[in-house]
Amino acid sequence: MATKELVTKVWIEEGCIVCDACETTAPTVFEVLEDTCIVRPAALEAEFTKPLTQDIIDAAEECPVDVIKFETAPFEVAEEVVAAADAAEASAGADAPEAPAQKPAAAAKPAHAAKAAASGAAKDQAKTAATAKAPAPPASEEIGDPAMQALLRAARSRGGNAAIARRAGGVSSPLDSKDPDELPPDARFAKTLDAAKKSKEALTRREVMSSSAAAMGLGWGLFATTSVGSVVAFQRFMMPNALEEPDPRVRVGPVSKYMEMAPGEVNEDFKPRGIWMIRTEDRIAALNIICTHLGCIPNWLANDRKFLCPCHGSGYYYTGINFQGPTPRPLERFRLSVVDGIVVVDKSKKFQYELGQWANPESFIAV
Amino acid sequence: METLLLAESTAESLKGVINALCEPAPFFIISCIALIVFLVGYRTFTRPAVALTIGAAFTLFYIISAFDPNFAAIIKKPDNVPITIMMFSVGFCTWVAFRQAAINDERMERGEPLIEAGSDDKVLVWPDLVYTELIALTLCTAVLIVWAILLRAPLEQPADPSVAPNPAKAPWYFLGLQELLVYFDPWIAGVLLPGLIIVGLIALPYIDRNPRGNGYYTFKERPFVISTFMFGWVILWVVLIVFGTFLRGPNWNFFGPYEFWDLHRLAALLNVNVADIFWVRWMGRGLPDDWMLRELPGVFLMGGYFFILPVLLAFTVLRKIYRQVGLIRYAIAVMLLLWMALVPIKMLARWTLDMHYFLAVTEYFFNI
Repeated sequence: MATKELVTKVWIEEGCIVCDACETTAPTVFEVLEDTCIVRPAALEAEFTKPLTQDIIDAAEECPVDVIKFETAPFEVAEEVVAAADAAEASAGADAPEAPAQKPAAAAKPAHAAKAAASGAAKDQAKTAATAKAPAPPASEEIGDPAMQALLRAARSRGGNAAIARRAGGVSSPLDSKDPDELPPDARFAKTLDAAKKSKEALTRREVMSSSAAAMGLGWGLFATTSVGSVVAFQRFMMPNALEEPDPRVRVGPVSKYMEMAPGEVNEDFKPRGIWMIRTEDRIAALNIICTHLGCIPNWLANDRKFLCPCHGSGYYYTGINFQGPTPRPLERFRLSVVDGIVVVDKSKKFQYELGQWANPESFIAV
Repeated sequence: METLLLAESTAESLKGVINALCEPAPFFIISCIALIVFLVGYRTFTRPAVALTIGAAFTLFYIISAFDPNFAAIIKKPDNVPITIMMFSVGFCTWVAFRQAAINDERMERGEPLIEAGSDDKVLVWPDLVYTELIALTLCTAVLIVWAILLRAPLEQPADPSVAPNPAKAPWYFLGLQELLVYFDPWIAGVLLPGLIIVGLIALPYIDRNPRGNGYYTFKERPFVISTFMFGWVILWVVLIVFGTFLRGPNWNFFGPYEFWDLHRLAALLNVNVADIFWVRWMGRGLPDDWMLRELPGVFLMGGYFFILPVLLAFTVLRKIYRQVGLIRYAIAVMLLLWMALVPIKMLARWTLDMHYFLAVTEYFFNI
C-alpha cells in the first residue's frame, strides 16, 4: 500500500476576477457567478473532492489571481495502482514527440515538481502539498479503489494520456519558468490561455491524425461537389437552349394608314408592342413608349395633347419632346422603314433627340 | 331645409378653402410654419390639456372629413390604412418626447433633478427582454392576421408591361422618396439623397460630439440640432408621405383632399431650366449649342450654393458651430445640410417658378 495526498477541503479567498478558468477545468467543483466564484455545495464534502484532486490542483495553479486554496491529507491507495499509473505515464510520455522515448516515471515526477515550484505555487502550505503530489495516473481498468477510478476518468475526459504525458514529459511554456507574481497581470492571463491552448492542441492533433481525417475529407469532398454542381447549374440557367424573345422588327400596317393621319395625331394601336406611331407636319415616326425618367409607361391624353406619366408626372408633347415634370430628356424614337408598302419598326435601334439623332433619315418616313 | 342647404354650402365652401390651402406651396409653407410655432411654444403645446385638445380637434376634423366621398375613398383604400395610423402615432411620439423635454427644461431652470436622474433602466435579457419580445411577437401576429382578414389585399389585374396604373404609387412609406423623384433626376432622388439620409444618420454621432442631451430629454440645450432633425423628419419625410397619399392623383397631378380625381383634368405646366431663363428670357436669344456655355448659369448657381455658401456660412450664421467642430466636421455637416435644404428649395422653385433643373447636362445624365 502506498499513500497519496488527496484534497479534503477546498475554498476560495477574496479577489476573484471571474475569469471562468476554474469552472472550465473543474466544472463540478467551481461555479463562476456574476461577481465571484463559489465552491459548489456538493464539493464541500471530502469524499467528493478526493477523486477530483488533480482537477482542483490544476484549477488552483491556473487561477490567475491565486485565490483557490485547498487542504490535503495522505490516504492509502493500492500499490499496483501507483505502479500501473507510473508505467502508463511513461508510455504516454513516449507518445508526445517532444518527450524522450523511454523517460522513466521517476524522472518525470521531479520535473513536474520543479516546474510547479518554479511557477511560484509553493508560496503557501496548500500549494506545497500540491507540488508534492504526483500527477493523475492514467487508466487501468483493474483498479479497485473507486476514488482512483474517478480520478482516472476525470483525467481521461480532459485530454487522456496525452495530457498526462504532457505534464510528465515536461513540455513547458516560456511563461512557466517565470514567477507569476512578477509577471504583469495580462501575462498571467496569457499563462492561463497558454495552458488551455496546449491541452486543446493535444486533443485535436490526436483526433485529426486518426478518425476525423476521414470525416474532414468527406466534408470537403461534399462541399467541393456541391460547389462545382451549383456553378454548372448556374451556367446552365444563364444559357438556356432557347431564348424566348420576340422579333424586334414589328410590322405596323400599310404606310397609307399613317399617311392619312392628321399632323399631331397619335396612333396607339401598337402600344402593347411598345410603339406609338405619330404623324408630324413632315414625317411619320415611331416613339418608344417607355418614359425616359424611370421607365414607366405614360398615357396619351388626347384632350391635353400630351403624354403624361402616372408615376412622377413627366409630360411630353406628341412629338416626344419633354416639357413638364422631372424627365430630363425626350422619348426615344425607333428605326422604321417601308417594305412592300408595309411600315416595319425596328425596335433594336433607337434614336435620341438630345444627341441629334432624330435628323437621321432612318428615324422617320418623310411625308 | 334652408338651414340644411346653408350648412351644405358652408361645408362646400370650407372644403374649397381647404383644397386651396392644400395646393403644394401653401400646404408646405403652412406645415413649416406649424412646425416652427410648435418648436417655439413647445412648453405650451405639450401640456396634456393643450395637446389633448389639438389631438381631439384633429381627430374630429379627420372624422368629419371622412364624410366627404373623395376623402373617404383615399383613407378607405387598404393601402392607405397605415397612413392614418402613422399620422396619429407620429403626433403621439412627438408629444411624448417634447413633453419630457419641456419638463426637464423647466426642472433644469429651477435647479431640480431631471426625470431620468437616478433611474436605473437596465433590464436582463432573460426574462425581461425575451418575454417582452414574445408578447410583442404574439400581438403583432394576431393584429396582422386580423388585419389581413378584414382588409383584402389590394390586388389588381395581371401585370401588363405596356400599361402602368394611374396614378402609380409606391408603398406608403416610400411615397416621400417618390415625391423627391418628381423634382430631381433619378440618380439624385433615387440614389444620392436616400444614400445621404442613411450615411448622414450614421455619421451624426461623429459629427455632433456635443454630450448634451445624451441620456435625457431636452430641447432647450440642443435647439438647432433637434429643430433640424424635426424639419427633416416631419416635413421632408412625413409631410411628403401625406403629399403622396392625399394630394397626388391621376397623372401625378396635385388634387385637393376633397377634390374628385379627374383623369382628364387639365394641368398646364411648362417646366424651364435655369439655362432657359437666363439665355432665352434675360438675354433674349436662343440656347447656345455648346452645353458648357449653355449650362454656365447653372454651374455658377450650384457652384455658389455648394462651394461658396459654406464658406460664407462659416463666417456668419454658423460661425459658432464652425469654431466648435473644426473644418472637417463642419464641411461634412454643411454638405449634408445643404443637400437637405436643396429639397425644399427645389420643390418651392418647381411650384412657384416652374423650375425644371438648375443644372441640366442631359448629354451626360447630370442634372440637379
